[in-house]
Amino acid sequence: MAMPLLPDRPGGGNVLPRLAGTSRSDIVAWKDAGMAILEVRNLRARYTVSGPEILKGISFNVEADDFFAIIGPSGAGKSTLIRCINRLVEPTAGEILFFDREITKLPRRELRLLRRDIGMIFQEFNLIDRMSVMDNVLSGRLGYTGTLRSLFRLFPREDIQRALELLDRVGLIDHVDKRADALSGGQRQRVGIARALMQDPKLLLVDEPTSALDPKISREVMALIKQMANEFKVPCLCNIHDVQLAMEFCNKTIGLQDGIKMFDGPTETMNKGNLEKIYAMEVL
Amino acid sequence: MSSETTAQKRAPRLTVDDVLNHRRRAGWSRRVLYVFLLAAMAWSLNVTVIQDTDWARMGSLGNVLGAAGRFAGIDFALFPTLIAPMLETFMIACLGTLVGVIICIPAAWFGAQNVTPFKPITYPLARLAMTLSRSIHEIVWALFFVSAVGLGALAGVLALAVRSVGFIAKMSAEAIEDIDPGPVEAIRATGGNAFQVMLYGVLPQVLPQILSVIVFEWEINIRRSAVLGLVGAGGLGLVFFRQMNTFNYHGVTSVIIAILLLISAGELVSYYARKAVI
Repeated sequence: MAMPLLPDRPGGGNVLPRLAGTSRSDIVAWKDAGMAILEVRNLRARYTVSGPEILKGISFNVEADDFFAIIGPSGAGKSTLIRCINRLVEPTAGEILFFDREITKLPRRELRLLRRDIGMIFQEFNLIDRMSVMDNVLSGRLGYTGTLRSLFRLFPREDIQRALELLDRVGLIDHVDKRADALSGGQRQRVGIARALMQDPKLLLVDEPTSALDPKISREVMALIKQMANEFKVPCLCNIHDVQLAMEFCNKTIGLQDGIKMFDGPTETMNKGNLEKIYAMEVL
Repeated sequence: MSSETTAQKRAPRLTVDDVLNHRRRAGWSRRVLYVFLLAAMAWSLNVTVIQDTDWARMGSLGNVLGAAGRFAGIDFALFPTLIAPMLETFMIACLGTLVGVIICIPAAWFGAQNVTPFKPITYPLARLAMTLSRSIHEIVWALFFVSAVGLGALAGVLALAVRSVGFIAKMSAEAIEDIDPGPVEAIRATGGNAFQVMLYGVLPQVLPQILSVIVFEWEINIRRSAVLGLVGAGGLGLVFFRQMNTFNYHGVTSVIIAILLLISAGELVSYYARKAVI
């Protein structure tokens, strides 16, 4: 392999004190102990008090080397589910344990420290169009960067070093100074991947990473995410509506339908019957 | 009329007669509206022009042309003394815009529904401030600040600053309301704090629009600052006022030319500056 594995940051090099963060060695310890990194128990969510319930009691476990696919028809609650895990959406009931720590009630500051341990990759990439590729990748470090430093974009040297290595790994080393909106869709998603890995995440949430891309680029992007997840030893939770891609890249699958879990197991055990159950609404 | 045509079968509830009747009625109401508008115009012409003008004092058409003709001519001797007030006018416009922009930062933040910190209070507060700023004329603001801080350029700067907030903050707040929420979500997901979310998620999206609004407002402020002197708030307006009071009508024309030059220069700069930011 050309590039060395990105090193852990000794001592974190963090501006913020580590209140709630987990370290990379935690993942190894959890894996050795055979414990789930993420445990979701009976999770419920609705957007408004009187509105429909989007998640109706979802439970599952994610272990250290899992690459989870969450499949299901549109409106099944896939996006809501992963947004509950970093609390971009507040769950209404249930528990989420991240490294055995209940996170649904964390106060704001602790929540920010949690979020920087969880990387996220988005359907529409969600890059900052008018900033350079480098600044976009560096923005993944914002959780570790003080307010004043971020005002003047004074990221530490080691962050820039890490960003360069990551951009090289995702094949964008020639585009460092370009504005994000000058890139193609596939390249933009690679920036998104680099930004998420910049956080040194202990869990990766991936929301429909390929639905804005063509089939060939989709496969490349999924392969890259998978490869990076393996290399950085980050468990992944990936919303994906393309069952074919899910079967190809994910070792475990959750099937959602209308906020209810219809299937949960190793991807290879999923069969036509399961799929019909998950996509029942569309068959009707 | 035949009731067997296919058109009527398809639309049995609406006949040709219905349509014609409807149009006739619409025509009538339009005619009534025209008559009403004409009457209102005639009335206002009578009250505001015919009754309100001192026709006797105006005299003949010759007198009117003679009075207007006094302005034809330029007092060239005045121009050297206009340079300092021109610069002052320009500086009042620049400083007024700058101070206005600084006041706009909290105003736009509070006044955008999607980022306002505590909507039931901060949002209406900001909107009220913006409306207040816009609904009071700059001359009135200048009068207010002249009595507060005394005669001179400072009153002009403050008047323009307060007057600018309404427009800049309103346009900025609306730009913020129209942003793509995706990057905001992404920065929140990295663990960024509220300030970082604004700085990285919101600001880059709205900056070109806001800069363009600021340049536009700056250009308008040059116009405004040229007349602020009329109420003692510094700049060319003060010279204008003095020329008028000493009946030096050619001097008045000179001041108007100076104002025109300044504003044209401002428009030119503004045109290129806005092209550059977009």
